[in-house]
Amino acid sequence: MNLPGWTREPLVHFLLAGILIFGLFSLRGEEVDPASRTIDVDREQLAQLSLVFERTMGRAPTDAELDQQIENYIRDEVLYREALRLGLDQGDAVVRRRMAQKMDMIASARAETARPDDGVLRKWYAENGARFAPEVSYTFDQLWFEAEGEAQAGLARLRSGSDWRRSGGEISLPASVDAKSRREVLASFGELFLVGLDRLEPSSDWQGPVPSGLGWHLVRLERREPGKVPPFEDIREQVENDWRTATIAARKEAAYDLLRSAYNVKIER
Amino acid sequence: MRQISASLVVLGAALFLASCGSTASEEQRGNGEGTIELAEFPDRPYWGDTHLHTDNSIDAFGFGVRLGPEEALRFASGEEVTSTTGVKARLARPLDFLVIADHSDGLGATKRLYDAPRMLIRDETLLRWHDMMHESPQQSQRAVAELINAAANDELPAALTADQEAQDEDTLDIWSRHLDTLDRYNKPGKFTALAGFEYTLMPDGNNLHRVVMFRDGSDKTKQTIPYPGLETKVEGLWDYMDAYAKKTGGQVLAIPHNSNVSNGLMFELTLADGSPMTAEYARRRARHEPVVEVTQIKGDSETHPFLSPNDEFAGFGVKGWELGNLPLTRRATPDMFGGSYIREALKRGLSLEQQLGVNPYAFGLVGSTDSHTALATADEDNFFGKHTGNEPAIKDRALQTQNLGTREGRFGWHYLAGGYAAAWARGNTRAEIFDAFKRREVYATTGPRMVVRIFGGFDFTEKDWGGDWVRAGYSRGVPMGGELTDSGKAPSFLISALKDPDGANLDRVQVVKGWVDASGNLQERVYDVVWSDMDRRRAAGGKIPAVGDTVDRTAATYTNTIGAAELRSVWTDPDYRGGQWAFYYVRVIEIPTPRWTLYDAVRFGIKLPADAMADAVAQERAYSSPIWIKPAAK
Repeated sequence: MNLPGWTREPLVHFLLAGILIFGLFSLRGEEVDPASRTIDVDREQLAQLSLVFERTMGRAPTDAELDQQIENYIRDEVLYREALRLGLDQGDAVVRRRMAQKMDMIASARAETARPDDGVLRKWYAENGARFAPEVSYTFDQLWFEAEGEAQAGLARLRSGSDWRRSGGEISLPASVDAKSRREVLASFGELFLVGLDRLEPSSDWQGPVPSGLGWHLVRLERREPGKVPPFEDIREQVENDWRTATIAARKEAAYDLLRSAYNVKIER
Repeated sequence: MRQISASLVVLGAALFLASCGSTASEEQRGNGEGTIELAEFPDRPYWGDTHLHTDNSIDAFGFGVRLGPEEALRFASGEEVTSTTGVKARLARPLDFLVIADHSDGLGATKRLYDAPRMLIRDETLLRWHDMMHESPQQSQRAVAELINAAANDELPAALTADQEAQDEDTLDIWSRHLDTLDRYNKPGKFTALAGFEYTLMPDGNNLHRVVMFRDGSDKTKQTIPYPGLETKVEGLWDYMDAYAKKTGGQVLAIPHNSNVSNGLMFELTLADGSPMTAEYARRRARHEPVVEVTQIKGDSETHPFLSPNDEFAGFGVKGWELGNLPLTRRATPDMFGGSYIREALKRGLSLEQQLGVNPYAFGLVGSTDSHTALATADEDNFFGKHTGNEPAIKDRALQTQNLGTREGRFGWHYLAGGYAAAWARGNTRAEIFDAFKRREVYATTGPRMVVRIFGGFDFTEKDWGGDWVRAGYSRGVPMGGELTDSGKAPSFLISALKDPDGANLDRVQVVKGWVDASGNLQERVYDVVWSDMDRRRAAGGKIPAVGDTVDRTAATYTNTIGAAELRSVWTDPDYRGGQWAFYYVRVIEIPTPRWTLYDAVRFGIKLPADAMADAVAQERAYSSPIWIKPAAK
């Protein structure tokens, strides 16, 4: 769907949100005056309390439960108004941040649910393609040895033709790894091993020893497949998520810059 | 007024038309069943954090964190993010799953469709109610009556309960948006984002918190909202969980944590009001809470030296936290410890099961972070602090007092770096990870990623290591979290512990046994089962000589020149008695390594006080879930 450019302006959203909020309160006609000592728990409020309960517990509240909800509501309202009366909202770091966060949320709300068209996403894909490549994957056999010397001796034995499956030490590591991603190899063998593995060229020969945090390994690296960026159609969703995240961040910044530009800030040094 | 309303309609419509819902695929939105090929047996431990806070938590937010669920998910799955204090951070090894557990109290979920301006409500029934409410008090009353009636008969308009589109309209609904975000990062086979929240029950400051974790995707979780914790009862939480399961056909479980600051209330022998425990309570507790978080930033709850005087490794992460409840408004006395630590709770469970026929405390164990920085960090050399107020940019964070209500007793250096949860699952999906928790095939570590596997049975021998011992384990025994029925023969255990490939070597593997003796008393014993250099480190006076210590206190370094890469053993209980109620769990101990406090001291050139310095080197560990044995039913 194409909307006019002005509908994408953060300032418009701020205004919009302001109007919405003002409008809502006007329609409901129940602006809370902190100075008032009258609390009207009207039917609408009751319905809302019931609904909250219903959505939480999956059933309507009993009379006693609704009474409890009302009591809780009144308690919160009394303390809230007294707090406002005492000015406790002033200079409260949490309140201050919460308000600021709400402004951020207003700025980003549109981007969270907007559906960008293909043109926007294809451009994004073209500019940020590398981010969508899957990880490198590895296919190899490995033997584990406790010490480097043992691994060297093992390599000599393998080269003189002994059965590889009986040549290594006993350990709870897979002897054969079939097309596993970098992440999975990392999880089982650790970082140091991956560094060594990346130094090897695929070959049908045994290579090494390669060190790891667990000891030393002889490796027969069959394949190392670099991840290729998939065609746009296959990863449209991923591109859209990436676009959305970046757009949300950009919109928050843009909205802030807009507001910030209206302020004259003096910093005393 | 009329004009404002008119422009409101136009602008509101524009806003509404532009929003069209979430963008995760169907596979990402569900529980992951049928999305990936599963291994025959759980093939590896999947690593995760079930207890992470973001800026949706009112306290995390108050502490200053500005990173939200999106950043938390990016970080846990291996991407680089910038922390609130501006430090770039990326996990060297990504996690496999994450539960963002923001506090339900004060969560923005309080923003509801009901507040929506009229033009955003499309459901006809809702629209009618809305109009009735604004028409007159009498009409409003009728609307409420209708509403309650509809809710009772399960005839609420779909828009109020399940209709996703209707909820998407409510663009500020934090819970709903949060679930969409989770779905977008949930990638079956690669990374699992589970929905959850923290239930913050805390009578008088005594910590009875639970993390609540869902098995399902947003199609089901959007039908509920998080249950508030303050001033409720835990039975209310269980009612909530039952209602969720009944309404959606989904599943949910709760994970108690920080029993160490509960002042004995987490694992009581009685009900909360002091009356005798009932079978009904025990059954509900066991069903809803199959796993306990035993270790995290705010200390470790395995056991206290007061409870386990013969355990030389007791008391890890106890300093500071043992003093009292969470805000330190009430001091702890030793008689409270029994209800605060998991080993004693597991023992109490045996005794209660004998009396009631059901064990309320038959739980598995996990670790997690409870980090309030949106960053799921647990390693000593990357500690990001409990909350944003003590991220690594803050030089003397180890020395600051932790004034959660008090300025005495607890200091920054009492914080642990945080733990992780390992789940033995057949694949990385919401359903598989959740089911591993449900059957307790999970374990805890204080941060390092050791691979710990145990099977209990009656005929395991050393010969099993030569073949496919995992298959043997599953076919002739039960994995961690399982139960054995007494067969008149001592149980034997296949126990294997592989070090963290990027971490420290292993010192030893121990079995912790708890049982009820013939006179009904609760007993415990720690057995050293296998350790490094066994030929040189021979037992003397019932103790194995210490493994040694390679930590350089001036450089915060250690070497793996001591300890072992892997320790394995088949262990048979030498003290088995027929008809005994018992549990066995495995504790794996690493060689000594620097704690985050020592890394900090070296990095920032600060001098730690003597007590903090004495605590700056520790032996990190893993705790398996127990295997239970009980007499055959008569």
